Amino acid sequence: MAHEMMLLALQFGVILVSTKLVGWLFSQKLNQPKVLGELVAGMIIGPYVLGAIPLGALGPLFPAVEGTVPVSPELYGIATIGSIFLLFNSGLETDLPTFLKFSGKATVVGLGGVVLSFLLGAEATVLLHSEVHSIMDPEALFLGTICTATSIGITARILGETKKISTPEGVTILAAAVLDDVISIILLSVVVGVASVELGGGTIAWSSIGFVALKAVGFWALCMVVGILSAPYLTKGMKRLESLALITELSFGLALLLAGLSEMAGLAMIIGAYIAGLSFSQTDVAHEITERIKNVSDFFVPVFFAVMGMMVDFSALKSVLVFGIIFSIVAFLGKLLGCGLPALAIGFNAKGAFRIGAGMLPRGEVTLIVAGIGLASGAIGPDLFGVAVMTMLLASVAAPPLLITAFKGGSGYRKELVSSTEDDLVTIALELPSYRAADFVRKSLADSFYQEGFFIKRVEGTRQVWQVRKDDMIFMMKVKDTLLEISGKRENEAFVRLMMVETMVDFKEFAASLKSLDQNDMMGAGLLMNMFAQTDK
Amino acid sequence: MKLRNILNPAVITTDVKGADKESVIKELLDLLVEAREIPSDKTEQVYEDLMEREKKMSTGIQHGVAIPHAKTKVVKNLVACIGIKRDGVDFAALDGEPSRIFIMTLSPVDRVGPHVQFLAEISMVIKEESARKALLEARTEKDVLAVFGL
Repeated sequence: MAHEMMLLALQFGVILVSTKLVGWLFSQKLNQPKVLGELVAGMIIGPYVLGAIPLGALGPLFPAVEGTVPVSPELYGIATIGSIFLLFNSGLETDLPTFLKFSGKATVVGLGGVVLSFLLGAEATVLLHSEVHSIMDPEALFLGTICTATSIGITARILGETKKISTPEGVTILAAAVLDDVISIILLSVVVGVASVELGGGTIAWSSIGFVALKAVGFWALCMVVGILSAPYLTKGMKRLESLALITELSFGLALLLAGLSEMAGLAMIIGAYIAGLSFSQTDVAHEITERIKNVSDFFVPVFFAVMGMMVDFSALKSVLVFGIIFSIVAFLGKLLGCGLPALAIGFNAKGAFRIGAGMLPRGEVTLIVAGIGLASGAIGPDLFGVAVMTMLLASVAAPPLLITAFKGGSGYRKELVSSTEDDLVTIALELPSYRAADFVRKSLADSFYQEGFFIKRVEGTRQVWQVRKDDMIFMMKVKDTLLEISGKRENEAFVRLMMVETMVDFKEFAASLKSLDQNDMMGAGLLMNMFAQTDK
Repeated sequence: MKLRNILNPAVITTDVKGADKESVIKELLDLLVEAREIPSDKTEQVYEDLMEREKKMSTGIQHGVAIPHAKTKVVKNLVACIGIKRDGVDFAALDGEPSRIFIMTLSPVDRVGPHVQFLAEISMVIKEESARKALLEARTEKDVLAVFGL
């Protein structure tokens, strides 16, 4: 026991150091996602490469373990916790309102991508793999599912950097990717259910597939509805504890419970974690939870990616290299055509359709999770796992340059997107004598809102816009030169005006108190003179 | 926030007698003492807190409405009262009109205070001219509460 724990500590340490360094190299020097670096680090230090080298009396640091997963159960456990963190975070960061707003267009694009990718992926596996005979075989099901999920992280980063997020294509891609994740995860539940029956020696009838699907969707829908409806009350109750740290810890505890429950219900654990995150994403403390969770998840998530990298058996990959390359191209086409063609039908021109297809290319976390679950359950072997990792690597490396090129040039939309008329929105502006004064009042106002139980966060990608939120009251606070602006719903106008008046009263008092500071010069001089006053000591 | 939890007949008067800002505020404070919302020996301190706020900026706003308010150590929870004076008082209002409807709130200093939320909800009602007219025509405390749907 002591030996295993010692080995675990050493492994954890080596994984953290190597993933962090290689991740830094990838993100800072090679302009690639950090995730890829962590995955590659795992491949290098894993049981099939460096990890196999014996280190004196210790033996190999990462001995290849017999069974479906080549690492020790202890290490795999840490990786599993990492995946729960990862999906809880993904859920938390999901922009549900934007998704719902564009859900019409996004559903068409997302569904197109999922259906075509799944069918092409599963069919390609049947055609290219000698032991797979039907798209209902576990291998085909898993590889089909692997093709469906889009990694929104990579696309979102590129769209953000090139300021294309709020274009019709950008928003459609983001919303469709959320839908993709949801469908992939539901699909995964069904696939896990079907595969486990088949692996247990049973044959699956269409009726029982229907039952598995119904159970998965039912569990999903039930948890979603209960989660989203109860999360605001839960956080309200937890706020009485007056500790944001405690709220974060409790909510992650709930995520773990829901993860366990979903596994008990025959679904994957990450589904529960994702639903927990999604439920809390709509509460006013979502940002605070995300920030705090990130501090801890940064320790666990890299272990997940590294362990995924460690599972790549290069010797098993040799036999499927050609398969892997063809499969990757099929996976590309599935998204390009599956998302691009429906986009043409809903108002985008050829350029816009290509942009959307390219934006949906990157694969990432969910792909690895699906592949990892497939490997751990024995549904796919190390060779097909290698194919999945290869697809993910190729898609993630190829997508960024393609996406940057695709977004050059004019609009990709056939008609101008009509912005929603927001009649019930009011903006209250306050002109101040200088930018410093405006910024100072903005800070005081933020303080007052905070005192009233609001949460304030800077809007991502902006320098001078903040979101101020408590329960369902949301305002945007902006500083433009000497102008301080707050916008929000008309029904909350009186509230904002009163808050601003109280802040201005304080500010006036503060400004008046400064006038008594007429010894200002002497204070400065005193500070400087004291620098040399203690030389006698 | 439930206005019902804060407003009741004991904290409402439809017959404010005071003829200037100071006497109106004192009269409303007496109402709060009678309603046992603040102890009688603390009225002086609360009065000073309220006048301190008035000095910084008058709380007489528009259309005959004034919202004298302060944060004070004397109360542990939000306390409010409503006074009506049909012929009006000079409250140094922003629009120069005499003030007729007084909504006074006191909130604790050291806690996240819901007074802004309370005032915001009150103002949602009295920004309608018909509601202000109904308040000025109110003869009993119940008439006043009815305007706020209570």
